[in-house]
Amino acid sequence: MTVAPPPPAGSTTPRRRRMPRDLPRFIVLCLLSVLFLAPIYWMISTSLKTEADAIATPVQWIPRNITFENYTSVLTSPDGNILRWTWNSLYVAAAFTIIHVALCALTAYPLARMQFRGRNAWFWFILSSLMIPGIVTLIPTYIMMLNFNWINSYHALIWPGISGVFGVFLLRQFFVGIPRELEEAARLDGANSLQILWRIILPLSIPPLVTLAVFSFMGSWNNFLWPLFTVTDVDKMTLPVGITTFSQRYVTEYGKLMASTTLAAVPALIAYLLAQRFLESGLSTSGLKE
Amino acid sequence: MTVTNAPSEVATARAPAPRPRLNIEPYLYLLPHALLFFVFTIYPIGYGLYISLHRWDLLSGRQPFVGGEFYRNIFTPGTPQADFFWKTLWNTTFFTIVSVPLLVAAALGLALLLHKPIFGRAFFRAVFFMPGILTVSVMGILWRWMFDNQIGLVNAARELFFRAPPIPWLSTEGLAWVPIVVGTIWWTLGFNMTLYLAALGNVPASLYEAASLDGATPWQSFRFITVPMLAPVTLFVLVTTALASFQLFGQSLVITNGGPSRSTQSVIQYITEEGFTNAQYSSAAAMGFVFGLFMLVLTAIQFRSMARDVKETGA
Repeated sequence: MTVAPPPPAGSTTPRRRRMPRDLPRFIVLCLLSVLFLAPIYWMISTSLKTEADAIATPVQWIPRNITFENYTSVLTSPDGNILRWTWNSLYVAAAFTIIHVALCALTAYPLARMQFRGRNAWFWFILSSLMIPGIVTLIPTYIMMLNFNWINSYHALIWPGISGVFGVFLLRQFFVGIPRELEEAARLDGANSLQILWRIILPLSIPPLVTLAVFSFMGSWNNFLWPLFTVTDVDKMTLPVGITTFSQRYVTEYGKLMASTTLAAVPALIAYLLAQRFLESGLSTSGLKE
Repeated sequence: MTVTNAPSEVATARAPAPRPRLNIEPYLYLLPHALLFFVFTIYPIGYGLYISLHRWDLLSGRQPFVGGEFYRNIFTPGTPQADFFWKTLWNTTFFTIVSVPLLVAAALGLALLLHKPIFGRAFFRAVFFMPGILTVSVMGILWRWMFDNQIGLVNAARELFFRAPPIPWLSTEGLAWVPIVVGTIWWTLGFNMTLYLAALGNVPASLYEAASLDGATPWQSFRFITVPMLAPVTLFVLVTTALASFQLFGQSLVITNGGPSRSTQSVIQYITEEGFTNAQYSSAAAMGFVFGLFMLVLTAIQFRSMARDVKETGA
């Protein structure tokens, strides 16, 4: 295996000096990768072991008798349906993302590109709500869900977070930078404001829109605390909550437990592979975290 | 669709200084979000205050006014609310104090290792970033299994490399923090690393060239160029990581369920226990406000850095 990459164009470092200098760094990175991958390896390898092998001492570093029994028994378990939970999570996250991004775009548009009374006041008013920690509204929003009869319904999972303001902020910052001339030319051609938003502003804003969509989807998909308390009906649970109830039931059946967490990790892993570039670049440009 | 701007002929025909007609168009765009914003953000704040000043009893259906009683409970030593609230708030603070420096320093270290081109860089980046996409329950169940008292991988590795006896991590006070902190680092380090990698890419190479011409050692370049140039992103990473750490909930809930004997219970877990398990909604709402006030300071710092961002792009 070769270690040193060819020196980048314009680099003055001679090639033969690069390799020994990079080698320690490469070895450190390899060791750290092993540490980072070990839990994932252990999860998958435990899920492929028989129950006796999973708890055998000394531990089996490599599964001796590979079996898919844990997967079949988890997928057909009467205690909960992983596929159903995955579907619930997908449905809730998709609905949340579509509504949230549309709302944010509609709100950011006049705030960025129109003159009207109260524009800055409203912008700062909604922006300042970012300072209110979520824990303040936890109990009252829960009581509201009780009053609306929304406990154990998708509504409780979709609506309360829908008016988040960070997306408005993110899109407004981008919309402000779009050149005036494009909009003026469209207006001369007789376009109204909705057409300008749809045909000019939004197509030019694909990167922040995708960033916002990816993070909205991930936020909803990974939401844990709120669904844990608002949805107690097993069939309505989302994946993170459902998997936790599994783990309480199968607390000593490690093979099944690890098969269920592996299954729960698969959609996120696939999504990550598809959206890797957006995720990392979106994170570093928007300053969003988790 | 009608264009609502007033035609110019109308303006010239009227009085010399006509008031521009109120254009309702922008308000129509704002309306859907504004309605939901009032229902799900503004109203719950006031409603929460109302709940915390009344005794909310769902069974009897009556909510008598009790004033500041639930707030007094939190500040009166000896009540269970005060004991557990401050204990779990300290637990959360302890977790923040321990995990934040590790999460910031290790992220910077990783970013420095990966900043310059190296064979397999994209692979390493993916490896360090990937755990962050797992949901907290998957991460928690996995790390509980890693630190299992008898047959977890950590104890097995200690046995293999050091011939050391197994340690009952999950059931020993103090030690139970180790799986939570280690799991959280594994889980979130990649986010901070990515922010640092982006910031490192923005440091002008000419600074390092000038420094090396002046005979600066690598340590001096790091100390006097890299560290100051990264100061803004370090502040951002520090504040967002501290905010996230104070939100500790899922990790300790899934890995230790707050135990042994509440030693790893987070304040948010306690508030949800008081609210949802004990059905003491008013008491939990009051705690939400007290803890919220506590968090407000940190949030204000982050808000200021965002406000600066607004000014730069022109409000």
